[in-house]
Amino acid sequence: MKKKKKEKTMQMVINLPSELIIEILLRLPVKSLTRFKSVCKSWFSIISHSNFANSHFQITAATHILTISATSPLKFQSIDFEINHHSVLLNHNFLLPRPYSYFQIKGSCRGFICLYCYIDIWIWNPSNGIHKQIPLSPLGSELLEYHLRHLYGFGYDPSRDDYMVVLLSYDPRANFSSHLEFFSLRDNMWNEIEDTHSAYLTDFGNPRAGSFFNGAIHWVAERYGSSVNVIVVFDLMERKLFEMPLPDGFDHDLEDFGLWIFGEFLSLWVKDYPNNTIEIWVMKEYKLHSSWTKTLVICANGGIPFYKPVCRTKSGDIIGKDHYRLVKYNDKGQLLEYLHIDRYVDDLAMYTESLFSLPGEL
Amino acid sequence: MAQEASSSTSSKTISLKTGDGEIFEIEASAAKQMKTVQRLIDDLGDDITIPLHNVFSKELPKIIEYYKKDITGEITKDFEAEFVKDLNDDEVKVLFLAANYLDANKLFEFLSQNIADRLESKSVEYVRKYFGVENDFTPEEESKLREERAWSFRGIKEDE
Repeated sequence: MKKKKKEKTMQMVINLPSELIIEILLRLPVKSLTRFKSVCKSWFSIISHSNFANSHFQITAATHILTISATSPLKFQSIDFEINHHSVLLNHNFLLPRPYSYFQIKGSCRGFICLYCYIDIWIWNPSNGIHKQIPLSPLGSELLEYHLRHLYGFGYDPSRDDYMVVLLSYDPRANFSSHLEFFSLRDNMWNEIEDTHSAYLTDFGNPRAGSFFNGAIHWVAERYGSSVNVIVVFDLMERKLFEMPLPDGFDHDLEDFGLWIFGEFLSLWVKDYPNNTIEIWVMKEYKLHSSWTKTLVICANGGIPFYKPVCRTKSGDIIGKDHYRLVKYNDKGQLLEYLHIDRYVDDLAMYTESLFSLPGEL
Repeated sequence: MAQEASSSTSSKTISLKTGDGEIFEIEASAAKQMKTVQRLIDDLGDDITIPLHNVFSKELPKIIEYYKKDITGEITKDFEAEFVKDLNDDEVKVLFLAANYLDANKLFEFLSQNIADRLESKSVEYVRKYFGVENDFTPEEESKLREERAWSFRGIKEDE
């Protein structure tokens, strides 16, 4: 690759050694890198290599908001709300030809989106188009009529370099018996964890996706038979389910609060309708109950500031969604900017650009 | 908050000599940020003129300007934008190589990102020329690659 080109002009073409070229490549977005695979054979190998994908993810990791509108015509859009308001329509041809009309994003991890489409599930990397169709789990299928009560999550197990889809469900017809199933992308099959644990109820008007954090998937739910709300946690490496209590004095209805990842922290957001505010609670030290702290109260003039937070930007701002806008608040709760989006967005989530492909596929 | 160092020890300057024989002064605290320079100072002492064979009089002042701002904590996004504004792609490349040679980490990372930003929407041909890379794909291989990744070529002008 390093051939000195002799120019006729006085200026010599200065060629960078490959280690330096790689430093530059690592900072490019996925679209450019994909195009530059055509530069030459060695660039093709470098960019295709999993080590490069890993380093690129660590260094660059540009984030975007994915929105899905299922009302015809089906529209998948990628919005950059951190730097500019640039938006791109994404190709969703991989979904054809099935008649999908229902989409819920059940997780976003290392550039992959876990898309629940009622009749099946897709794992999809919007940056490079890599995708895989996953069947519903045995119980996901059997209890399909109760799908709004299902707790789905998606995460990554670094010890096996494997992605997992998890379903925590219960059977209302059979004494609320609870089941935990997981799909390993590497094993390409569903398994059930045999473990006696309670059933966990959600506010099923509003199916929640799990939040993947520190190697575990977290949901908020009510422990059946107790009317106590808890944080339910499934550790992907240990493959164990356990609970974490909510902060002391946290006495809100399940439909008024939720769990999300606020930068480096597990966090709770609470809609306070009487005061027209959103409270943000942060678990300053993971798994240390006493470290739950109310860190921010966001006010809006007339009405709740947003209906759900989406993510935190690199500069510490909060991106949320209200009826038909993406909104951005700074870490003091001041509105910075907003962007109108489709009125009929079925679901949205943040995802990171990555070059990753799925285990067992190239 | 720039504090002018009045005491002699903290405002010590180091003399640097470029590959084309010119001499520039830099504050010792700024020199510390360039690990290559610091190593040479450690070996040769800080009283003699430090020779930098691979850095030239066109680039060194610019690098010194950057680190002058760095030691007073004044590097902002605006400063960095201004810093590279008038440099063309080749000039940035030379500066980048110099930052690498000097082991000036902060400048190196900034310039890596700046070059990446400049190349983001460029064509494959431009990038080949920029890095002096030969195309070793056959025409058939290349057109197959482009076809498979047509989406990544969307909106890219071929002659830029």
